[in-house]
Amino acid sequence: MSERRLLRPETQARLRALADRRLSAREVSAALDRPITDDERDEVRALVAWFRRRYPTPLERLTYARLAYRRWRASGAS
Amino acid sequence: MQGTEFDEAEFFRSVAASGARALLIGRRALVVLGLPVLTADYDFWIHGDDIGAFNEAAGPFGLLPTHTPEEARQRGRFALQNDEMVDVLVARSVSTVDGVRVSFEEVWSRRRPVRLGPTVSVSLPSLDDLILTKRFAARPKDLEDIRLLQVLKTEDER
Repeated sequence: MSERRLLRPETQARLRALADRRLSAREVSAALDRPITDDERDEVRALVAWFRRRYPTPLERLTYARLAYRRWRASGAS
Repeated sequence: MQGTEFDEAEFFRSVAASGARALLIGRRALVVLGLPVLTADYDFWIHGDDIGAFNEAAGPFGLLPTHTPEEARQRGRFALQNDEMVDVLVARSVSTVDGVRVSFEEVWSRRRPVRLGPTVSVSLPSLDDLILTKRFAARPKDLEDIRLLQVLKTEDER
């Protein structure tokens, strides 16, 4: 049985602040100027192909996303 | 109404039937396009004159506005919430982090209707405009999303 380890609230808040921070124009430019590699492109293509095959209609994909988020929240993540 | 009972198809049908000029943006738009990303909220960008119609469409689903239409217009955004959360941008235009001014009217004029299911549709921005909206907040995850959308765009253009 696995033990669930929860982050302390202040650590969660710090991580959230980092994840939600607005990047500078320079940071955005640097990140987007980085070329998309063939591997990255292939990975995205495979992901999209799987998702569209598994959930053929957009409505099915939306339902999947809603339930996936609920599962993620129920797992103790935030 | 509990979010678990939320009828997504009916919600989108109600929004479409309301006549509100409403664009689905944010990660839910990526999901519609076929990108499996994790997201908590629905994000819409709507015309400021259509707040009332949009709220009426959401009302039957127990989604209550956080602000009056007048307040929302002044703030440029508001939310509708119960167990579900709908973030609504109502600003006429928004600047990206690198200073590009993006107007709702222009994005609306380039919208693409997407059929969600047999009897329900939603309006999405064009891929280029969706990428621009990801540069509004410019968080790290927005940059990840932009790269995903850029791959999708090259696939569309092939």
